[in-house]
Amino acid sequence: MRIPLHIKGEKLWKVCAFIILCIILACCGEEIASVEQPSTAKVGSTVPITVNINIPTAGDGGPDYLVFGFLVPKGWQTSKNTTITYSGPRGNGNMTLIPNTTLAKNGGGLNWPDLMKKTFGIGANLIDDMEWVAYQSDKSFTHGGNETITGKLNIQIKVGADNNNTLVKLGYCITDTGNGFTSNEFGTYYSVKLMADCFELTGGTGDMVDFCNPQLTTVNPPKSLDNDFVTLTFDGTVTSTQLSGAQNVYLCATAYTSDGKTVTVCEQTDKTKMVQLPAGSNRYQITFWPKSFFGATDAQTIVKMEYFITSANGATKIGYGNTSSPFVYTFKCS
Amino acid sequence: MKIQMILGRAFLLAIICTMMCFGSCKTEQIVPSQEMPKDIGGSWKVIKATRNGTDITNLVDFSKFQVSFNDGKYTLINKLPFLVNQDGTYSLDNPQYPFQIVFNANGAQPIPTAFNYPIVNGVRQLSLTFSPGCPNNTYIYTLEKATK
Repeated sequence: MRIPLHIKGEKLWKVCAFIILCIILACCGEEIASVEQPSTAKVGSTVPITVNINIPTAGDGGPDYLVFGFLVPKGWQTSKNTTITYSGPRGNGNMTLIPNTTLAKNGGGLNWPDLMKKTFGIGANLIDDMEWVAYQSDKSFTHGGNETITGKLNIQIKVGADNNNTLVKLGYCITDTGNGFTSNEFGTYYSVKLMADCFELTGGTGDMVDFCNPQLTTVNPPKSLDNDFVTLTFDGTVTSTQLSGAQNVYLCATAYTSDGKTVTVCEQTDKTKMVQLPAGSNRYQITFWPKSFFGATDAQTIVKMEYFITSANGATKIGYGNTSSPFVYTFKCS
Repeated sequence: MKIQMILGRAFLLAIICTMMCFGSCKTEQIVPSQEMPKDIGGSWKVIKATRNGTDITNLVDFSKFQVSFNDGKYTLINKLPFLVNQDGTYSLDNPQYPFQIVFNANGAQPIPTAFNYPIVNGVRQLSLTFSPGCPNNTYIYTLEKATK
């Protein structure tokens, strides 16, 4: 018995062509297969990192340049301290820095580093003192050939230019100059790998900068001088403290000046009051101009600040790591 | 003879028409309007402030801070972080079409910055970009004339 099919030939041809087209176009995005990076390193050492990538070339297109983004702390000055090469079946070469004046493909007028930050943020890091550094291959490639190019990006980075011991979650992304960070019904044309584990840098003489773990207090901007406005935040949600649930908390701070003097401001007044934002959030914040807050003269420079968070009557003091030791903030730009 | 006379009159008529045509054209006298020099004299207060793109207007008390410009000199009232820390003189790179304002604090190096002087909702504003602390920390103050 014959079963009549009610699919007209013309329609069937169109449907098949559309499906094939979708399959072809849906498979063309670059992919980060894996990242090989050490878990620790010494400040000032050169760290090798390998990013294994796949570039499907089933769809026709190009030639395009491979674009690579590297998420790192600003203090490392990565653009000056890093070399990246690539290797693969289509040849070897260098990844070169993309100038900030180059606008990203489909980036809405942003350059590549800004587009990377807008698209991927700072990963799982908690301090916004990170940057995406953008590179592109020195040679272009075509997407034809219906193959998957398997290659490696070999990074050599001298870490810790700021001499700080650091805990940070690095990040990597790739795309090409023909697509940018595009994702549509045909596929995703980029890949990002935001590391979940912390990379630890030791042996530095500077401060400990912990991008990974929530801190009881943070200072924004992370790098500032006494002539900046600084915003100090006490996050009571990080751990239970004696100030948990307090309506008001206050800043009690001592400034150390370049001429060897100390100035302490430890009062419970409007000057030191930290505002809870939003109400009931257990997060408190104060923004101040250190030079004025501590009454430093024009000739004095504040180099460091030690501080506690206190209760309304000043009897309870919370210090670093919820101990009796003060938090320490060094005024510096690098 | 008659044809010659007709041709002569036609020729004369053509010359008269041509002369009238050219005579009717006259050069338009375009008098360029004189651009007024930008006068920033007076006291200015901060109506908006950002730090690295984040609005900090409501986090700091800017109400008492003012910059007063007068006769090529500026005065800081109730100081806050600014392009300069001391009073001094100022100048525009071009009084009519300024792109830059230079602050010359007493005894310090001149500090130039971009001069933005837009009219917003009918009110002149002065927008200044600077880094008083770390070079990576950028502040933008938007100022308006203080009423008193």
